[in-house]
Amino acid sequence: MSAPRLIFDIAGAAAVVFAAILVVHRNPIKGLLAAVVSLFAIAGEFVLLSSPFLAAIQVIVYAGAILVLFLFVLMLLNLDREAGPEEGHRMQKLLGFVAIVLFAGMMLAAVRSSGALAGSSGEPAPTGEVVPLAAALFSQAALPFEAVSILLLAALVGAFVLARRDSAPRPPEERP
Amino acid sequence: MTPLDWLIVVLRVMVPILAILMFLPLPMWAERRGAGLIQDRPGPNRVGFFGVRMFGLGQPIADAVKFFFKEDVTPDEADPFLHTLAPWIVMFSALSTVAVIPYGPTIEIAGRSIPLIGADLPVGALYIFAIAGLSVYGIVLAGWASNNKFSLMGGLRSAAQVISYELAMTTAAAGVFLTAGSLRLTDVVAAQQTSLLRWNVLPQFFGFIVFTVSAFAETNRVPFDLAEADAELVAGYHTEYSSFKFAAFFMAEYTAMFVASAFIATMYFGGWSLPFYHPVGLVGGIVSGAVLGVKTLVFLAIFIWVRWTLPRFRYDQLMTLGWKVMLPLALANLLWAALLALGGVL
Repeated sequence: MSAPRLIFDIAGAAAVVFAAILVVHRNPIKGLLAAVVSLFAIAGEFVLLSSPFLAAIQVIVYAGAILVLFLFVLMLLNLDREAGPEEGHRMQKLLGFVAIVLFAGMMLAAVRSSGALAGSSGEPAPTGEVVPLAAALFSQAALPFEAVSILLLAALVGAFVLARRDSAPRPPEERP
Repeated sequence: MTPLDWLIVVLRVMVPILAILMFLPLPMWAERRGAGLIQDRPGPNRVGFFGVRMFGLGQPIADAVKFFFKEDVTPDEADPFLHTLAPWIVMFSALSTVAVIPYGPTIEIAGRSIPLIGADLPVGALYIFAIAGLSVYGIVLAGWASNNKFSLMGGLRSAAQVISYELAMTTAAAGVFLTAGSLRLTDVVAAQQTSLLRWNVLPQFFGFIVFTVSAFAETNRVPFDLAEADAELVAGYHTEYSSFKFAAFFMAEYTAMFVASAFIATMYFGGWSLPFYHPVGLVGGIVSGAVLGVKTLVFLAIFIWVRWTLPRFRYDQLMTLGWKVMLPLALANLLWAALLALGGVL
């Protein structure tokens, strides 16, 4: 087993373990930090798959921006203990079991069909350079790209309207 | 790879890190002496070596020894794990960004070509933004884990500030990548190598202004040090830190200033290169490293000069400046850079 493959496997295991910690840890802040480590490990996987651009974007957008905002909100709420319904719905355990079985089946199918992809297919690895990605984004995928930007703009305007609705009647000197 | 190759790789990575750690006491001393100069008082001028005063150059070492012997206090209600982890997150993110800043050309020594850069990533600049952005976790966690209202306020302010200014900073930097045609920092330097007019500070002056101002905000320096804000928050996020954990925050601040200065020099002032000078061999490598060092020190001096000249912003002023001035200016600069690239000027 080569060194990159070994690092790849360790990073993959770390990503799964820390994702599991995110789910089971009782302290929400520490759970969130586990998510950061998990995302970092996935970024490491991207590097080893010759996609450093994707790895950098993963860390900048998810670890550097989105999870910082999550952390921000969690700290403002200052949750000391687990908040949530005291006792679950009667059907909850049954439905949870069904979901686990379905998910395990999906994962098994994915793993069994991906044997050819696990670094042994002999195909040249993608170069991961920025220029081909940008060229594809602005030629083949131009329409979806613009559609997504319009969607984001709509979401931005929506968030702005919702945030302003309550504070609009305030006198101007009270604004921060 | 032979053991010699491994040694070369280790040296390539370690030289810039060791250079920063070695010169770290210099800005700490210059900060206090500079404050003295600007405020018309001597500053620390006594501590020297073996009875020779040396303008107080021994002061940072005396400070470090003092930090070692202070009691390390963790508040009773604090989270001990995160309280200890936080300063080292900040230190890690400050030091590991050095790896992708080129400090010289590819030089030939004894038949081997050695690129003078830790790791020449095709996305080197994005790597710096990604890792530097993680330092906010250290500050936010320090604020939260201390279980102190002032610390928490400092941490929350820092989170909002860093996210706001990161946007303007990357948009300003996009102008440089556009004209260089690459995110690789060696390519950014190569594009500025031929003439003084090619230094990005001239064609993209407003990009340079936005980038530098954002760098001040990202490193939490005055006038953007609202995370610390000693007039209102005691000492902000590091109120509950003492001994070597505080020293780690302190060192990380200066390391981040070092890297930010070297990054500005690389992006806008030609990095290690000088026009009409082509470094060759080991001597050329040392000279180009020194050129980057001098450019870095100039920006460190500006960091210190600004700190003792400008008052701190109010929080709403900080946000207004970031979103209503810096971001539009950065977008205008991006358009200007696109026009320059389209017209074939650069």
